Amino acid sequence: MRMVEEGDRKLYPFRPYVCDGMKLDTSGLESTAPVFGIGNEFLSSGFQMTPSFQLPSATDFEGFQKEAIQMVKPAKGTTTLAFIFKHGVMVAADSRASMGGYISSQSVKKIIEINPYMLGTMAGGAADCQFWHRNLGIKCRLHELANKRRITVTGASKLLANILYSYRGMGLSVGTMIAGWDETGPGLYYVDSEGGRLKGMRFSVGSGSPYAYGVLDNGYRYDMTIEEAAELARRAIYHATFRDGASGGVASVYYVGSEGWKKLSGDDVGELHYKYYPVVPAASVEHEMVEVGAA
Amino acid sequence: MSIFEYNGSALVAMVGKNCFAIAADRRLGVQLQTIATDFQRIYKMHDRLFIGLSGLATDAQTLYQRLVFRHKLYQLREERDMKPETFANLVSAILYEKRFGPYFCQPVIAGLSDEDKPFICTMDSIGAKELAKDFVVAGTASESLYGACEAMYKPDLEPEELFETISQALLASVDRDCLSGWGGHVYLVTPTEIKERILKGRMD
Amino acid sequence: MGDSQYSFSLTTFSPSGKLVQIEHALTAVGSGQTSLGIKAANAVVIATEKKLPSILVDETSVQKIQLLTPNIGVVYSGMGPDSRVLVRKSRKQAEQYHRLYKEPIPVTQLVRETAAVMQEFTQSGGVRPFGVSLLIAGFDDNGPQLYQVDPSGSYFSWKASAMGKNVSNAKTFLEKRYTEDLELDDAVHTAILTLKEGFEGQISGKNIEIGVIGTDRKFRSQTGLRLVSNGASKQKVTDKWEQKICMVWKLDMLLKCHVK
Repeated sequence: MRMVEEGDRKLYPFRPYVCDGMKLDTSGLESTAPVFGIGNEFLSSGFQMTPSFQLPSATDFEGFQKEAIQMVKPAKGTTTLAFIFKHGVMVAADSRASMGGYISSQSVKKIIEINPYMLGTMAGGAADCQFWHRNLGIKCRLHELANKRRITVTGASKLLANILYSYRGMGLSVGTMIAGWDETGPGLYYVDSEGGRLKGMRFSVGSGSPYAYGVLDNGYRYDMTIEEAAELARRAIYHATFRDGASGGVASVYYVGSEGWKKLSGDDVGELHYKYYPVVPAASVEHEMVEVGAA
Repeated sequence: MSIFEYNGSALVAMVGKNCFAIAADRRLGVQLQTIATDFQRIYKMHDRLFIGLSGLATDAQTLYQRLVFRHKLYQLREERDMKPETFANLVSAILYEKRFGPYFCQPVIAGLSDEDKPFICTMDSIGAKELAKDFVVAGTASESLYGACEAMYKPDLEPEELFETISQALLASVDRDCLSGWGGHVYLVTPTEIKERILKGRMD
Repeated sequence: MGDSQYSFSLTTFSPSGKLVQIEHALTAVGSGQTSLGIKAANAVVIATEKKLPSILVDETSVQKIQLLTPNIGVVYSGMGPDSRVLVRKSRKQAEQYHRLYKEPIPVTQLVRETAAVMQEFTQSGGVRPFGVSLLIAGFDDNGPQLYQVDPSGSYFSWKASAMGKNVSNAKTFLEKRYTEDLELDDAVHTAILTLKEGFEGQISGKNIEIGVIGTDRKFRSQTGLRLVSNGASKQKVTDKWEQKICMVWKLDMLLKCHVK
């Protein structure tokens, strides 16, 4: 790493995209192909396609960064899942937000509606997920306007993965699934802040994911009906909320088909439990004390 | 994460008119993983004396076994039940014996004296007693419990009102704690009877 | 195990099944100065002779009745030094109980612990039994109590008992005088009379010692009280119990009434 002296202040430029002042430039991620054959300075003047962030001027930037990462260390407790089946993609999540042991909310929207055909799920840092999904939404819309067709799930997920990769090691915490329907049919990708991007039929993300996988893997069939798939997703979320202390609240289920996404249900798992497992009044065992005869 | 929060727990005791109630959640977890939802944290020493042990479950069970041992020995030797105050002092002494390697437990003791006067107290893991006239709380949900109890508690409640108050306080509190909940367990003790009730709660 | 032949208990059973060391210890008690105790309806009195080897001994320095806890007192017959060992152990036991439970040790518990020590000394290697019997008087939640503990470690609760020299005469006397509804004043009276029965020489406030405990659960002994009554003779005594005992302590006067 190179250090530049500028008066009393030390600047720490880093990564390939170093630009003027103290901005982190992410424009390198932009498509280099000009829109309508003209250089895109025209379009990008006044606003940047990818947001850039000011870097703090600190004498010990790496130490500061470590502290900052710790400070925004996100509540990781979550259960989200998504799977492709015959009729499309089913997406489900819980709704709890926690800070350590404290439950800060039971009504978080963890399924983010990117556009009418695409959903993203939220695990990890709430702010990071929300911000980058909205950013992804903008990019997808711009793609649509530029190319007169909707972006594929593959493309969208790659956009996100590339952005997250460019921030790798800076403390972003995102574990997301991009699920949607495009001209190729249903699509499902897992993307995380470490830069990973996986295509798959079945994913679950978050602290409750091992439990959700248990139910999901056990009950999954490709040729399920939409109702069966929704119930499987709901059950998987419910079981995860039961076992995982950091998951809970409401089990939301979304379905993405050729007509776009649709919210199918949102059940309070507090009630769901007693629906799945009604309390049977314990049959009173009548044991009378019987005199045991002398042996 | 503190070792006191390893298993998760919520514990509360309240004083009413010539009665007391002691309540706990039913979860046993390993960090965020819920292992059991029928765990017992409140133990009966004798008909009018109960102890709840929050904190590390393994230590709670071991400590309970030692307390049973000491209490039984006392009963045999002195041919009487221990007074709640006396028992609290015994627990305190046993905890302080392990001053430099404590049991990771915060006990809550509740009992009725021979004159039907309710007694509640809690202490830290090395035996510093804290007596209270109204309510005491312990466990990972203790902050929420303080809030709920401050808001809901009234002095001199009749037994059934006290049961309602302690139950609502417990259920409200554990709903803000990841590490406790999954149902509740309440003992309501009056001079004439002990009522034990299981509370249905959110199972997440 | 070179020293093993010396380390086994000195109290070994004789072929006839007796522990002669204990019997010898009882003999030591039987030749000691007389002590007695009476449990009244709402109080306990213990008393003992305090005969000194020479008139040159300062009798105020000798104290045969001692406090174990504020509500339990003890008197012995037999060997004074042995009694002090027991008193020290009993006091320690009482303090340990108090430290553990933060409540005063019940009389029965202290008696049992003391008796256990005495028993231990009948079965341990390298020791001898205590040459004393104790009368322990206390008042707790179970009311007034009087126990006698012997060198063997056996103990009994008594309505009235005596030990030491003239024990049989004293006991016979007590049997005659004892009633269930005895008041404290009468009990003190009886105690003094009983001592006087077998007393060699002139009995006086200086050669006996008395201790009393009543419903206020404060054990008072004569030595402690003399200070009070001496001072009290000049100023008015207001405490109910002290009044009672001050009256009693006009001992010489009291005794004259009975000397015939």
